[in-house]
Amino acid sequence: MVTERIVGMGAGADLVDDGGRIATQDMVLNIGPQHPSTHGVLRLRITLDGERIVDAEPIVGYMHRGAEKLFEVRDYRQIIVLANRHDWLSAFANELGVVLAAERMLGMDVPVRAVWARTLLAELNRVLNHLMFLGSYPIELGAITPIFYAFRERETLQAVMEEISGGRMHYMFNRVGGLKEDLPAGWLGRARRAVTDVRSRLPDLDRLVMGNEIFLARTKGVGIISPEMVAAYGVSGPIARASGVDFDLRRDEPYLAYGELPVTVVTRTDGDCLSRFQCLFEQLQVSLDLADACLDRLGSLPPGPINTRLPKVLKVPEGATYAWTENPLGINGYYLVSKGDKTPWRLKLRSASFNNIQVLGELLPGALIADMVAILGSMFFVVGDIDK
Amino acid sequence: MRLPGAGLAKGLAVTMRTMTKRSVTDQYPDVKPELPPRSRGVIALLEENCTVCMLCARECPDWCIYIDSHKETIPAPEGGRERQRNVLDRFAIDFSLCMYCGICIEACPFDALFWSPEFEYAEFDIRNMTHEKERLGQWMSTVPPPPAVDGRAERPKELDAARKAMEKAAAPAAPPAAPVEAAE
Repeated sequence: MVTERIVGMGAGADLVDDGGRIATQDMVLNIGPQHPSTHGVLRLRITLDGERIVDAEPIVGYMHRGAEKLFEVRDYRQIIVLANRHDWLSAFANELGVVLAAERMLGMDVPVRAVWARTLLAELNRVLNHLMFLGSYPIELGAITPIFYAFRERETLQAVMEEISGGRMHYMFNRVGGLKEDLPAGWLGRARRAVTDVRSRLPDLDRLVMGNEIFLARTKGVGIISPEMVAAYGVSGPIARASGVDFDLRRDEPYLAYGELPVTVVTRTDGDCLSRFQCLFEQLQVSLDLADACLDRLGSLPPGPINTRLPKVLKVPEGATYAWTENPLGINGYYLVSKGDKTPWRLKLRSASFNNIQVLGELLPGALIADMVAILGSMFFVVGDIDK
Repeated sequence: MRLPGAGLAKGLAVTMRTMTKRSVTDQYPDVKPELPPRSRGVIALLEENCTVCMLCARECPDWCIYIDSHKETIPAPEGGRERQRNVLDRFAIDFSLCMYCGICIEACPFDALFWSPEFEYAEFDIRNMTHEKERLGQWMSTVPPPPAVDGRAERPKELDAARKAMEKAAAPAAPPAAPVEAAE
């Protein structure tokens, strides 16, 4: 049966309900799983009253690959392959959590050069991730140009990442006890040049978007997340910090070499789309500074190994641990339970995007449908990270 | 008070300035990219080194390596006994499944597998993505030597082992005091 629904002004405007208002019904609109304004296969079921959203429900799971279950039948080297794929924009940071958890359970000391190289690569990975969103978010609001600038910078950094690890996205460079291989000769200099180049060209990106009146009109005061909502939904990363939640694991629970680095935590107080974007941009600069500090340190460390000799069959002793890291998109945690086998008994993955996206159910109601695009884009998520 | 549209104009100024600079676009099919030696493009097989130990096929996270082999008996030499050895019949990697993690190359104890930065092997038919050992062998010519490592890197254990072996071999022949002159 076909029901005619009147959802706004137009054909049914002459119909009037008992109260004298225009008789309209709410409309349920499905955004996604295949829709150009979503990234990938996130589905939003939105109930609309005219142009205004009255109810929104993020429906996740279209890209569920069973990563946690797959972890249980793979040894720790094979887990790294899978772990760097759930959030394909922060592959290095994802690998890091797995090896940190395994190393903690093994009570393994990681060589100091590996610790600093990991910190450096994690920061470069953060820059790559943020550049992606700094480029793609303006696209969603109609500004096509910034992504070309963002990708030029990404390409500069990806070249050094590829030189050291052999991969452009899935680095597969962490191993339990260190890194896969040592740095290529002269790589530190090339990495430093890449960081300098990217930093020198950042003002371009800044001037392109940050002052743009259209961009400001679309983002300022739109989609405000309160600190209470952050706490209630477990939102983390730049999104939480844009709402004034001053929490960053790199400073508050330092792992790797962050304890020795001056980590500036970027925060804003407005909690709207614009402050989320500004947070991302400023974090980019902080990460470039941290990368420089790591490069300085790597250049002055005494010679030494970059990995640890592992037994042929690596078995993690019985027990459990939770290793969380400040991923580019938020807190990424691995709860590792081992029964002493070469595979984990359980490896729970707490991914940043999954929690960050849940807040949409509360954030979207009240907003206009056009703002939905601005809000969705400003949540900086990767669907693989939501669906795992 | 800011002029309306000042931010827009500032952005357009960036575009204008960029227009005067050389573009950074790679002219890909005409100009081949320069890839670093560690680049993970395709896996090459050095068949002579393979002993059919199956470690790569077992360690592969998605089991995309297919190996068939049979045993061959080498007839007994004078006064010896006959020996058996493995002969490789089939070695294939299905690159439509491969995740390019490189675990097979790491796992290989006999240096039979190598990374090559070659990447131009797209196919119209997914079945052609399975490279048999002949095709995998052809990639060997594209394998670059590994890059030199950073000066702060640990000396490879092989170097120390080789030097120790050399010293051991040289020790009974010459007194240990004069190896430097001998080298000259």
